Amino acid sequence: MEKNEILVDVKDLQTYFFTDDGVVKAVDGMGFTIRRGEVVALVGESGCGKSVASLSIMRLIDKPGKIIGGELLFEGEDLLKKTEEEMRKIRGSEIAMIFQEPMTSLNPVYTIGNQISEAISLHQKIHATEAKKRTIEMLHLVGIPEPERRFSQYPHEMSGGMRQRVMIAMALSCNPELLISDEATTALDVTIQAQILDLMRGLQKKLGMAILIITHNLAVVAEMADTINIAYAGKIVESASAKDIFKSPRHPYTYGLLQSIPKFTEKKTNEPLPAIEGMVPSPYHMPKGCYFNPRCPCATEKCREEEPEIVELTPGHLVRCFHPIES
Amino acid sequence: MKTYVTKRILQMIPLFIGVALVTFLILSLVGDPFTQMMVNPRIRPADIARLKHQWGFDLPIYLRFFKWFWSMLTGNWGLSIFAGGRAVTELVGHAIGWTLKFSLAAFILAFVVSVPIGIYSAIRQYTLFDYVFTGFSFFGMSMPTFWFGFVLLMIFGLKLHWLPIGGIMTPGMESAPFFARVLDQAKYFILPVIVLSFFQMGSWMRYTRSSMLEVVHQDYLRTARAKGLPERTVIVKHALRNALIPIVTLLGLALPGLISGAMITETVFAIPGMGRLTLNAMTSNDFPLAMACLLIESYLLILGNLVADLLYAMVDPRIKYS
Repeated sequence: MEKNEILVDVKDLQTYFFTDDGVVKAVDGMGFTIRRGEVVALVGESGCGKSVASLSIMRLIDKPGKIIGGELLFEGEDLLKKTEEEMRKIRGSEIAMIFQEPMTSLNPVYTIGNQISEAISLHQKIHATEAKKRTIEMLHLVGIPEPERRFSQYPHEMSGGMRQRVMIAMALSCNPELLISDEATTALDVTIQAQILDLMRGLQKKLGMAILIITHNLAVVAEMADTINIAYAGKIVESASAKDIFKSPRHPYTYGLLQSIPKFTEKKTNEPLPAIEGMVPSPYHMPKGCYFNPRCPCATEKCREEEPEIVELTPGHLVRCFHPIES
Repeated sequence: MKTYVTKRILQMIPLFIGVALVTFLILSLVGDPFTQMMVNPRIRPADIARLKHQWGFDLPIYLRFFKWFWSMLTGNWGLSIFAGGRAVTELVGHAIGWTLKFSLAAFILAFVVSVPIGIYSAIRQYTLFDYVFTGFSFFGMSMPTFWFGFVLLMIFGLKLHWLPIGGIMTPGMESAPFFARVLDQAKYFILPVIVLSFFQMGSWMRYTRSSMLEVVHQDYLRTARAKGLPERTVIVKHALRNALIPIVTLLGLALPGLISGAMITETVFAIPGMGRLTLNAMTSNDFPLAMACLLIESYLLILGNLVADLLYAMVDPRIKYS
């Protein structure tokens, strides 16, 4: 297993929702890569298509949504060409996912032991007692005290943070190559959020899987991600190493996002926090040209007419902008 | 859980007494059956007084209640006034047997048909299948049973001569061999069971469908799919188990109906069950019989509620009674 080998290559992904009110292009030409063992973040506002992109990788898009174009290469094979049967063997075993709402993501009528060992016996075809042993190991690994007792407890007997640990144990139980974390810490208290992020980082070091972190919160990924992709209106607008994103953002949107994070080191506290003007465009009425132009302080006539392509400005730093900010 | 059950059963005792009291008082309002005899010039007042004394109607009402309630508890339910003086226990036992056969058949048929259709309707929401059975269930729920029963009797009994027009068996078949008798009775069962199950089928289908629809959009089904489970397991193990929780309550509430019977359907199809027995007892002022029937039915309702509550705790681990 080579460290730099590309594990996931999302190319020009298009996932549209065919609603009664029109077509919503939730993901429209999104592309990014994840290397083996790499932590990649996909950051953007609500409605930028980040969750849809992650569900697309799992091929779990429900009607009226449909993946209509692009390629989803996983270990060199296109997931979009797989049958449902082949996809099922990948889900939960090679690509696993944890979700935003730990309170509702577990089935209330089954014990957590049942729900975790279900995935293990499904993919690893092992005996129930073996699966139970492995489940208890996993519960121990994610830092749940008294895993033997917790095994036979129901989700309602646990707190939100504990449930998210259970979700992580479930996701990692079959040693996936890729873990997708879809806003997994958003619904948790800040202290619990930090604990879960610490846990994920620790497990990543230990087990070496790649992680795709979906979040709207740049602070969450600042310490954890190797690469950060900034998404806006269904496209990636900037992609670079975490260091480059924070040190020298090149896209005006990324710059705006960073400006809107409160900084505690500065003394002048009575100045209002800068915000990005305007709203995310309605999915039914996307602006002409660059999707960000109505909110962009640097927009010119060209931005209102033409759509920019994503270009590599410096090695590893990709930006979709006609007028990137000078570094 | 054990303490809860004990507590519930203890709480039921005052309820049982209260229900008995209300039943007794309501029927006392009608008056006693002997007062009506006064209009008959051929019965002497002295005879009426003797009858009243013999049946205990000359005692004060509270004493009558306690005497009645005590004899109900001890299993002495008295004699029916009009059904040839036969013991009430015997009449009721006989009627319950018939009612159980019909209602159990209808209950099982309704359940077996409605739950799978409800599930499928939910999974295939807004398809032709869903629309057809939505129409069917509204038809079933809005059809008056007496009318529907008569229409079926008219078509299959009178016009086509396929099935008998009511009753429980062909005369002379009582001593036939077992299989011949069962086959013969089956013909009598078809129409009443259809009519009895139709209403429940309609409403259970709707309940299952809406309960399933609520579940299919839950996050934990997405989790189950993300685990790589086949769709069948996702639906049967993860969705159905949750969707059945409210259905179990419905079933528990339908339990008393299994024994109390259906007055209208039993009358239309001439089935000697509990429903018809109750109706006849009330219309003919047969007090001992009517009181026994009413008491049994109201007690069954109370017990059915308890069963529904306990079943609810069994299927939903989030519910803890303490």
